[in-house]
Amino acid sequence: MSDTTTEIRPVTEELPKGDTLVADTVVSLRRRERRRRQRDILLSTGTPLVLLVLWQIAASANWIDAKLFPAPTTIARAAGSLISAGTLQSDLGATVARLLVGYSIGVVSGVAVGLVLGLSRPLRAAFSPLFNGLYAVPSIALLPLLLVIFGIGETAKVLTVVAVTFFVFEINLTAAVRNFDPRLLEAGRAYGARRGALFRHVLLPGTMPAIFTSLRVSIALGLVVTTATEFVAANNGLGYLVWNSWQLFETNDMYVGLVTIALVGVVLTAIVAGLEWLALPWMRARRG
Amino acid sequence: MTEQTGFAVRGPEDDSPLVGGSSGDLRVQNVSKVFAGARSNVVALRDVNLEVTRGSFVSLLGPSGCGKSTLLRILGGLDTPSQGTVSTGGVSVANGVAFLFQDYAIFPWLSVIDNVAFGLRMQGVKKAERLDRSREWLRKVGLVDFDDAFPEQLSGGMRQRISLARAFVTEPEVLLMDEPMGAVDAQTRLVLQEDLARLWEATRKTVVLVTHSIEEAILLGDRVVVMSSRPGRVKLDINVDLPRPRTQAATTTEPFAALKATLWEALRDDVAKSLEFS
Repeated sequence: MSDTTTEIRPVTEELPKGDTLVADTVVSLRRRERRRRQRDILLSTGTPLVLLVLWQIAASANWIDAKLFPAPTTIARAAGSLISAGTLQSDLGATVARLLVGYSIGVVSGVAVGLVLGLSRPLRAAFSPLFNGLYAVPSIALLPLLLVIFGIGETAKVLTVVAVTFFVFEINLTAAVRNFDPRLLEAGRAYGARRGALFRHVLLPGTMPAIFTSLRVSIALGLVVTTATEFVAANNGLGYLVWNSWQLFETNDMYVGLVTIALVGVVLTAIVAGLEWLALPWMRARRG
Repeated sequence: MTEQTGFAVRGPEDDSPLVGGSSGDLRVQNVSKVFAGARSNVVALRDVNLEVTRGSFVSLLGPSGCGKSTLLRILGGLDTPSQGTVSTGGVSVANGVAFLFQDYAIFPWLSVIDNVAFGLRMQGVKKAERLDRSREWLRKVGLVDFDDAFPEQLSGGMRQRISLARAFVTEPEVLLMDEPMGAVDAQTRLVLQEDLARLWEATRKTVVLVTHSIEEAILLGDRVVVMSSRPGRVKLDINVDLPRPRTQAATTTEPFAALKATLWEALRDDVAKSLEFS
């Protein structure tokens, strides 16, 4: 009775020596999984490559109008000359800078306001209907107003990105706090977590998935908005490059701009996904 | 009745404590709880009196909706009574009360060992010490090889063992358990009951166990308190004088069967009534 050990016996069976049942099965299962993964990689990289080659052939053989759909090699050459002129790098830098500055401000303010509104009923009553109404206005539609207020400098464009990011976070995080599993909060309280500790050790880690979902959604929206503001209110940036190429009917340069924007989107989304993978190992476990 | 069956029966009208109230006893006096709902108000508890002696194991038995979980939450300070007083002899969730929940309420973002160490962390125990103590308890519940896993990779029975370890590791004065076996399968449940009996016999904490299983109430408890359905009040309070250590083998003995019959007698009408209500 004083023996406090309560070992629960393992249920795994000792296999006789020389039995290769488990080892063989594991090896064949692993091999099959590896084959499937290789096939996935092949298909996901192969499909766009094949389409690119078809496009190249179609353009060279004049099956399609090469003025509207220039061959990939033509686009690559155009990119080369934009790079050697240094304009592609500076356009890329301008777009990424606007996006990241606006995104960062939007993330920080959106997380803070979202959490506070989730926690405080009076503040929620005061601001949630207002924010929901503003959210219904497409952020890009605010640009003309912001241009009137702040002039045609960077502020108006960055604020447009701030707005789109802010609303994604504000709405998602208010919801995440309000729908938080009450049993986990109760367990936190039952084990002595009060106010600050409850927030830091229970609420915040529990809303991390919502934060990362919002990061992924809003980086893509932010890029859309940045590009759109540059169409009309900038004289540099990838959006400007695309718009200006249209006005000059420089289709090749326009494609360079579009491809670069796509690549920026892919890279930034991948970075956010990578951060999520690192920061939320338990979500990895959930997905299996 | 006391003579024939080997256990004492006390009616709800007898509110004298079993043993003189030393410090560390749990005392519930005239506690009532009303929940105001959108469509109707519910009197969950009415004038409940209960005394739990330090170091004893009390099972709270009753039909669903009799307010036994509410009483437990009030005891632990997670809810407040509408009327009446509760005294836990100077301990609170901050220092000396640990909870076990039906659905485990394990934090999915913490590894198994960090879940176990959570209470110690909130108490400000240094990292090395809390990991040592947690690992010791993981060993006792047979999960030491899973310390780095995340809870969602484990089965329900394993998660409830995490929750057991999380509760015991803080070396609480009082353990409050809300149907801790409710969400595991029947066979795992039998094993966990034996685990729990053994852990308790080794540590002798004050335990209040809410359950809807008559067998579980008898097997684990020194006393079984039966509550009636809405409004919840104490209907029957009997001692279980079965020898310890107890295992599932105890469930086949004569006194066990007699206790079971008495408890079922007390419960039957209320169970039927609670079915009509819902």
